[in-house]
Amino acid sequence: MQARQLLLTAASMTLALSLAPLTLTADERLKHDGEFMVDGMIFGMPEARVFEEDYDGPPVVGETMTALPHLAPLTHEGNKTHEVRLDTFAQKIEVANGKTFNAWTFGGTVPGPTLHVREGDRVVFTMKNRSDEMVSVTEPVPGGSPFFSQLNENNYLKTEPAVSPMPHSMDFHSGTVAADDKWRTIPPGQSIEFEWVANYPGVFMYHCGTPSVLMHTAMGQYGAVVVSPKEGYDTDDQVDREYVIVQSEYYLRKHGDEYRYDHTAAMNRNPSQVVFNGHVNALNSEPLRANAGERVRLYLMNAGPNDTSSFHVIGAIFDRVWYEGNRENEWRGMQTVLLGASNSAVVEFIVPEEGSYKLVDHEFADAERGAAGTLIAGPRRQ
Amino acid sequence: MRTTRLASLSTALIVCISSQAGISSDRAVRIDGGTFIQPVLLDENQRTLEMESFYLDRAQVSNSDFLDFIQQYPNWRRDQAPGLFRDADYLKHWPEPDALGDGVAGADRPLTRVSWYAARAYCQAQGGRLPSMDEWEYASARQRTLTGQSDDDYADALFAWYSNPGAETLAAVGQGEAGPLGVHDLHGLVLEWVEDFELLLTMGDQTDLLNGSCGDTARMMPEFDAAHYATFLRYQSRSNYSPRTTTTTLGFRCAYDPEDMK
Repeated sequence: MQARQLLLTAASMTLALSLAPLTLTADERLKHDGEFMVDGMIFGMPEARVFEEDYDGPPVVGETMTALPHLAPLTHEGNKTHEVRLDTFAQKIEVANGKTFNAWTFGGTVPGPTLHVREGDRVVFTMKNRSDEMVSVTEPVPGGSPFFSQLNENNYLKTEPAVSPMPHSMDFHSGTVAADDKWRTIPPGQSIEFEWVANYPGVFMYHCGTPSVLMHTAMGQYGAVVVSPKEGYDTDDQVDREYVIVQSEYYLRKHGDEYRYDHTAAMNRNPSQVVFNGHVNALNSEPLRANAGERVRLYLMNAGPNDTSSFHVIGAIFDRVWYEGNRENEWRGMQTVLLGASNSAVVEFIVPEEGSYKLVDHEFADAERGAAGTLIAGPRRQ
Repeated sequence: MRTTRLASLSTALIVCISSQAGISSDRAVRIDGGTFIQPVLLDENQRTLEMESFYLDRAQVSNSDFLDFIQQYPNWRRDQAPGLFRDADYLKHWPEPDALGDGVAGADRPLTRVSWYAARAYCQAQGGRLPSMDEWEYASARQRTLTGQSDDDYADALFAWYSNPGAETLAAVGQGEAGPLGVHDLHGLVLEWVEDFELLLTMGDQTDLLNGSCGDTARMMPEFDAAHYATFLRYQSRSNYSPRTTTTTLGFRCAYDPEDMK
């Protein structure tokens, strides 16, 4: 299904290429006074706007905002402007069986939703700091993104609204801007709006950059942006399955009846859990699916906040690896991909035969703490 | 600068300052002056200050305290206070602009959802003022010294509270153990406004040109233990409030100069 969509997209792109030039002129791509182009990339975004709004609508808005491990297909040709909202607020979540804590989140989950855009796309981003509101992400949300229905189908974090007022900010590694302007901190009750252009393809982290940045990220404020290359990857028309995996660490300690952030453990890089997609069981209770002979593509992001990941699939070899997700950085035949905190890769492997394949951080102390998941492969389909 | 101008304007909303003959010592306790080593570095230098004696409210201002105030100064009611001096959530948890309710809106609960402008107007009407950041932090440091609370216990308690402040179920004011200073709940109930809350890290008046972004912790910490991190997080978070901000975990108490006391 996904492969067919990709093929159709590729076909329509080829058609479009043959009919009309897709390359826009500078005048068409520049939107505001002060913007300029260098090497075809756009810089000089307008100043961020900080304001107050009476908004209690869906906290995640954007048609390509999805819950992990999904990735929304890009249905547009060329470049477009995405209107995206990702509010920040607290949420009680489960990270391992019976272990819950009040997380600081983007969009209500840890990691937050994945945003998918194309290289050259523009993002108009809005975030309200709703950390002193009870915000639910499990009720039906008209006008919300696919994130909500996907979360409802598999709410493995068992999210519950919580209140934890705190100033926060948003730092998109996918944006090239002056951080003191766009990534500025806003208090509870305020909103910020700013723009960025996805100048580089790849898989990028987003996170809260407010000091202590260690605490804010360890409390759960991070997620991934996938920027697909404008030329695509060479194997686009062969890919059968696509999944997004974000690795990260929790530093929790029992405090009364609950678990809370342990700053000493975070400073000592001694995580209580290391997880894929926010929960030690996220990719086991709902394993990834594929069939023998299929090409599986994983968009990997190591959010940290502290540790490296030696990502490995037991029984498979990565046919292709694009480090950071840039098609210029291609490796072949890799057994393991080493990702520092905030590094990423797009990896592909061919599923050898029917069976079960473990995804692990091959730094085994971290696999033992939860950085493990499963891909179950069905029989070969001709 | 902008804040200062607006602050004097907001003061004008107190039409006449009540002519109290002095503050009762039942309400406030004397904090003796002494030496205060600031726990966060400014301008790369550790600063040691000689603090003057001052008086500090034993407990945070409660909902009923503030109800008394707005009955006297109705232009600070939520339906009358100018938007310049508060955000849209000001006193939102009260069922009516001049009526208290249950839970966090109960009479004995700490006042929250109050802006810095409203807090300082309240203290002024009592014949006092908001404590300075150094005064508040000095009281906190003295209390830690006198109780002998270990750095680790202090850090544990603060990080647990910051990450899970229990804003939905606040206890009544003045219920936590007062400690040797006679001051209740400096930590663990609500955060508190101070007069110069923007002094550190703010972009508003460019006190710190690097504006306290990601990775600025180390250059502002004289020690890298958990206790200093816990304290730094309070300085940092305070710096990021706007004077119009109102939240569910932010209240205040007032300070007084010795000559204003009975």
